[in-house]
Amino acid sequence: MELSQGTINRHLGPRHFLFDFLFAIIISALIAVFLFFAGIGDSFFPVLIISEAFGISIYSLINLLFWLVKPEKITSIISILIIGVAGGTFIGLHLGPFILRQFFSVALKWTPRDLLQAVLIAIAFGGAISYFFFSKARLRVTREEIQQERIRRLSKEKEALEANLKLLQAQIEPHFLFNTLSNILSLIDTSPDQGKAMLVDLIHYLRTSLSRTRHDLITLSQEIEIIQAYLNILKIRMGERLRFRIELPDNLREQPFPPMLLQPLVENAVKHGLEPQIEGGEILISIEEKDGFIRSEIIDTGIGFTSYSEVGVGMINVRERLRLLYGQRGRLAIEENKPKGVKAVIEVPKGGGNQHDL
Amino acid sequence: MTYKAVIADDEKELRTYLKSLLAVTWPDLVICGEAGNGREALELVEDEGPQVIFLDIRMPGLSGMEVAQKIAGVCRVVFVTAYDQYAVEAFEREAVDYLVKPVSRERLTQTVERLKKQLDVSIEPPAGLAGVVEHVLASLSAKTAADFLHWIRVQVKDSVHLIPVEEVNYFQAKDKYTLVITKDGESLIRKTIKELISELDPNLFWQIHRSIIVNVSKIERVSRSFTGRGILRLKERPELLTVSRNYLHLFKQM
Repeated sequence: MELSQGTINRHLGPRHFLFDFLFAIIISALIAVFLFFAGIGDSFFPVLIISEAFGISIYSLINLLFWLVKPEKITSIISILIIGVAGGTFIGLHLGPFILRQFFSVALKWTPRDLLQAVLIAIAFGGAISYFFFSKARLRVTREEIQQERIRRLSKEKEALEANLKLLQAQIEPHFLFNTLSNILSLIDTSPDQGKAMLVDLIHYLRTSLSRTRHDLITLSQEIEIIQAYLNILKIRMGERLRFRIELPDNLREQPFPPMLLQPLVENAVKHGLEPQIEGGEILISIEEKDGFIRSEIIDTGIGFTSYSEVGVGMINVRERLRLLYGQRGRLAIEENKPKGVKAVIEVPKGGGNQHDL
Repeated sequence: MTYKAVIADDEKELRTYLKSLLAVTWPDLVICGEAGNGREALELVEDEGPQVIFLDIRMPGLSGMEVAQKIAGVCRVVFVTAYDQYAVEAFEREAVDYLVKPVSRERLTQTVERLKKQLDVSIEPPAGLAGVVEHVLASLSAKTAADFLHWIRVQVKDSVHLIPVEEVNYFQAKDKYTLVITKDGESLIRKTIKELISELDPNLFWQIHRSIIVNVSKIERVSRSFTGRGILRLKERPELLTVSRNYLHLFKQM
């Protein structure tokens, strides 16, 4: 924002005024020399004064208008330049002879031929100064746009980096890990087979979590596998308090999909929806294709929004990732489920994200 | 004399495990009940009158901390936690007994020794636990105090949606309610501008007017009007917002 707000206006402020003013005087003098040698005027001095009168009035008027109106669109800049040239010509027409008469006792009688000359001078000067202003302003805007674009790109790269870091930090929750290990430790004595199965699921969960963050895309069935492993573990821990169902159509199994989009939402549903609820509840995960989008729903019958509104860090990460991967084309909506719980809906374009742009 | 204990943990397997460890480390101890949530734990303490309770911290219903506050002075509490860096730190500072999961036999033996010694001196638990727990909770909440509002709950037709605050363009006071304006539309919430400004991240949201809070990242540009107020153009909304003089300093360094 610091960058975008100052466009052309800022560059026409007082700091540039003096420099530009000097420039206007020099250009006027050059035009006077050019016109004199082109045979306009009887002596150089009146031509110079008149040229300066035109130049300074046009320049001042344009500057004043810029300062007053602060134009932002190209069309309004052009209008100001036209008005400035016309108005400045009118002022110069009276100011030039006035100065000559008043200070140098040179009386000018304007014949139609002189008037034509004056207008020519005005247009020559107006054209030069307008072009000068216009290109200068354009140059600055362009330069600024390039700078802005660079900053935007850099900050996007930084965001992507941070999001990946967060992803790594968020993926394995110590609470989950230690509780699961405690369960396994206990099951080794009481029910070795179940303990073994849980350990296998944990290994699977850990391996996929640790390795796949390095990949840009996995398949939907891989994502579902890790969710399945996670839910199996929790099923042993929570017992009757957790029931779940996963619906993934066969034709979507090999569909490429970014990792860590669905799983954090499932973990959220367990952690903030079912675990805090004494009677536990149910989780339904369903994925379908719709109008070129992959739509995934994660529905839980947990305690609902009360704790979501306070925590939801996992969801913030998911949103961040969606934005980085798909920009406006990815969507996460969170709503209340009827009769209770939370429904999270993720929609992403089929065929993966534009990670290479990052 | 034999003592009675209650084990409270929402995971059955972990209750079984602790029970089996206690059977070895403290054979005389009678486990008079197991609770799967905070409320059950409270009832068991009332009904059975145990001298000791092993309390898991994360439980549905009431948390272990909440249960401890209610039963302070009734029986001795040993907290059990899977992983909670800050809580463990706080327990240590306040000299509250705690176990970290998975509970090891050696560590449990220490706890048992300590409990036995305390019970030999006096069967009555020290009355100060409630205050201590309050301390622990206060120091924990201080650690997480920097957590700002992340989601806004709004009613859309007949269902409730969550809008991430990052998507909000601005908030505008309207009578007793507040309008939440996003790229696609607006909705009403009950929170006032005053409440919102204290809950939102001040790096992300600025109050620019008595009745307007704007999302800084949604500002396209700011310009000055003839009357000296700021005119604010947004990236995703056509309307212009006014920055009143009192808040213009926010944009000064730009």
